[in-house]
Amino acid sequence: MNDREKRDFQAGLEAEVDAFMRGETTRRNFITRFGQMTGMLAASAPILGMMTGWALAQQKLELADATSPLGQAQAAALKASKEGPAEGSAFRAVEAAKAHAGVTINMTYEAGLQALDPRNFSGPMWEQLTGMKSNVVELSNPDQYSKAVAEHIAGSGAYDVLDISPAWTPSLADGGVIAPLDDYIAKYMNPADLEDYHPLYKALPTYKGKIWGFFDDGDMFALYYRKDIFEDPKMMEAYQTKFNAKLGPPKTWEEYAQIAQFITDQMAPKVYGAGHFRKAGSPGNQFDFLQQYRANGGKLFGDDMKAGLVSDAGVKTLTNMLAANKASIPGNNELDAVSLWAAFLTGKVAMIYSWPPSGRMAANYSQSATAINFIPQSQIAGKVGYAVVPGNPEHATGYNKALSADSPNREAAYLFMQWACSPPVSLARCMLPYALRDPYRISHFKSELYGALFPSAKEYLANLNNSANVGLLDPIMPGAQDYFLSIDRMCTAVWAGADPKASLETAAAEWNETTDRLGMESQKAFYTEFLKLPGATADNTVEKLGMAVTL
Amino acid sequence: MPHTTTISRMTTTGAPPRLSTLAQWADRHFKWLLVAPAVLLILALSIYPLLFSLVVSFINYDFQVPGHAFVGLKNFERVVFDPVARWSLLLTACLSSISVAIEFVLGLLVALTMVRSFPGRGVVMSILIVPLFISPVIVGQAWTLLLQRPFGPTNYILTQLLGQEVTIGWMTERPWLYVSLIIADVWQWTPFMFVVLLAGLTAIPPNLYEAAELDGVNAWQAFWAITLPHLGSMMLLALTFRLLDAIRMFDTIFIMTGGGPGTQTYTASYYLYTVGFTQFHLSQATAGSWLFLIFTALVVTLLVRRLLKVEPV
Repeated sequence: MNDREKRDFQAGLEAEVDAFMRGETTRRNFITRFGQMTGMLAASAPILGMMTGWALAQQKLELADATSPLGQAQAAALKASKEGPAEGSAFRAVEAAKAHAGVTINMTYEAGLQALDPRNFSGPMWEQLTGMKSNVVELSNPDQYSKAVAEHIAGSGAYDVLDISPAWTPSLADGGVIAPLDDYIAKYMNPADLEDYHPLYKALPTYKGKIWGFFDDGDMFALYYRKDIFEDPKMMEAYQTKFNAKLGPPKTWEEYAQIAQFITDQMAPKVYGAGHFRKAGSPGNQFDFLQQYRANGGKLFGDDMKAGLVSDAGVKTLTNMLAANKASIPGNNELDAVSLWAAFLTGKVAMIYSWPPSGRMAANYSQSATAINFIPQSQIAGKVGYAVVPGNPEHATGYNKALSADSPNREAAYLFMQWACSPPVSLARCMLPYALRDPYRISHFKSELYGALFPSAKEYLANLNNSANVGLLDPIMPGAQDYFLSIDRMCTAVWAGADPKASLETAAAEWNETTDRLGMESQKAFYTEFLKLPGATADNTVEKLGMAVTL
Repeated sequence: MPHTTTISRMTTTGAPPRLSTLAQWADRHFKWLLVAPAVLLILALSIYPLLFSLVVSFINYDFQVPGHAFVGLKNFERVVFDPVARWSLLLTACLSSISVAIEFVLGLLVALTMVRSFPGRGVVMSILIVPLFISPVIVGQAWTLLLQRPFGPTNYILTQLLGQEVTIGWMTERPWLYVSLIIADVWQWTPFMFVVLLAGLTAIPPNLYEAAELDGVNAWQAFWAITLPHLGSMMLLALTFRLLDAIRMFDTIFIMTGGGPGTQTYTASYYLYTVGFTQFHLSQATAGSWLFLIFTALVVTLLVRRLLKVEPV
């Protein structure tokens, strides 16, 4: 160090010491502290990452009591995956997937109960069988669409397996977000397992001649009614006297409203005839309108792709729905799906139509899982009968498992999808008390193990199958969300006193605007594709096409 | 005897220290280096998205329509000619002004009551401001549980009190659904008014009231002549802040009415949310956001100008 350097050093040191003596923060120690903080932040990232990873880590495989029907179904799924039969889709998927051991599959799932299946059951079992890990990304239902698209635009490859509504398939396929499965199916799948899908669901992932996913959730609406009330001799006699007809599950929507009103008149305020989830934004309005409208002969679009809502069928549907509302529990128009379940399970309502978990909850099966303890215990277990919704029931949304086109692990992801949706594994998943996956394969409907879940489970399964035979699909085309929103707005406006015809006109105008926005010709092409599916209209249900499944 | 160390000033002689070129540059630009991270963050998280949103509002950015073609003013046109958008703006103005007016009156009354000391004042004050700390979503859920038929107790209690059956659809029938939304908002935000106005009241010198008392001024005259003029700026401040917050009303509507029945409880925020995140028409929602921003800016400008014009008493 020469003299000048020494002087510089001493001057600097002097300034530092002076500042220190005055208790000031010097630039040097500011930079030092800033560096320390930055370093700590940088160091904390992996620690936080580890903690987050630990918090969200895949659970250990959760198996039911081996002697229970669920335990036996889980054991059967494990056995089919490990030992075969060798041609089984589960076994073939596991064998092929072993080559991908160590790979992590990122899969989107609806947040909450739906995600418990891959977290507690299918994810850990898959890891145990193949060495592949799974990461469940929980998203709200709309985000399952928007995030998938956003990640595709970003090209992030963030997701491998997408849980999507079948209605989104055309948009996602045309947008390049999802990949077709045909080549993988030809290579790995047992063709017989495709034939095991109920015909209503089999074609759902098919678009423009290719298969874009595996159907994975039979969300069929069905009628659940109180047998003890419907079979009460006094009630039957009174109904016979008043209407000269036998009291039983309704066959038409007029009869439905009439029976609901009759029970309300006889039993309110202890029990009301019916209940519906009619709250704005809860999807009950759209599904209910679509099923009744089409059962009444209504067409969604005309040949010119103009909305067909303003019609006699539209007015009749809204009139019937208003009559049903009037006959229902007070606050009917404020209920969401969970509130309606609460009303039914506590015995306040004599009949509802809703998704399949209704039957499992009514039998108190679902409530055996702590995850679902926000649903009240059923006070009507053993008193519930099952019937097909008058006319044609709606298949209200459902889920497809689709393969992300941007997945860096396409084959591994596909193999997980094939395994999870294979007959033995999907059966065990549908039987989980907390999961909201509902039966959709013919082998599910015929399953002795499922039939042993609760005393009336066989009748429940038979009714779901029969409902699917005459069931109607939600429109599968771009803009479905817009069309649904217009129906919801229309219905809730009518419930609040708006004129049905004027409301139909408003909704029709919104539909036409949506169609124009998305392109008249392209929407027409999508709608034409949709009409080819069994269950697209009341005239081409599975039953009317001669494909009905009898158990 | 304890060992002590004395730090003495170091003395140096000669020319001042010479820094390296980099150190000199750093020395000259040190202040900019310090603010650079913050500026970069603001640019990345605020300015860039803002500019990007401006771009988006002139192109097609719709998850259901491929491509991002330039569409000019089409997105703005869709919003302006959408009757739901116009209704939502009107409702926003009505709901926010009614809610804020009620909150202001109630907040002032409570503040005037609480300005004097009394036993248990601290506890009462703590209880009064609890709603401020609750998330609006939880407030919406709580009021839903209270009002929603058939499980909510409100109609039952009213029936018992009035001696005749009350069957109000608090969240589905006009005008009750607006009453419900206003009640929820007033319940949560009156404490804000109260706290701000109480701070203003306690700042008024007590000797003014003592002098007024000596002059034989009654309470009402003292309120008009002393309290109101001294509280003016705080009142305007509280109203400005609250109004700015109220026109963003979303959470309670999302939970309590879902925008329904029909579109009767669509506020501007709810409308933009629906268009953007239910229907995925992002460019239309962005154009709507810009229009809403302009509307809000006008209100803010008026209020802030008024606020700045308040003369000290």
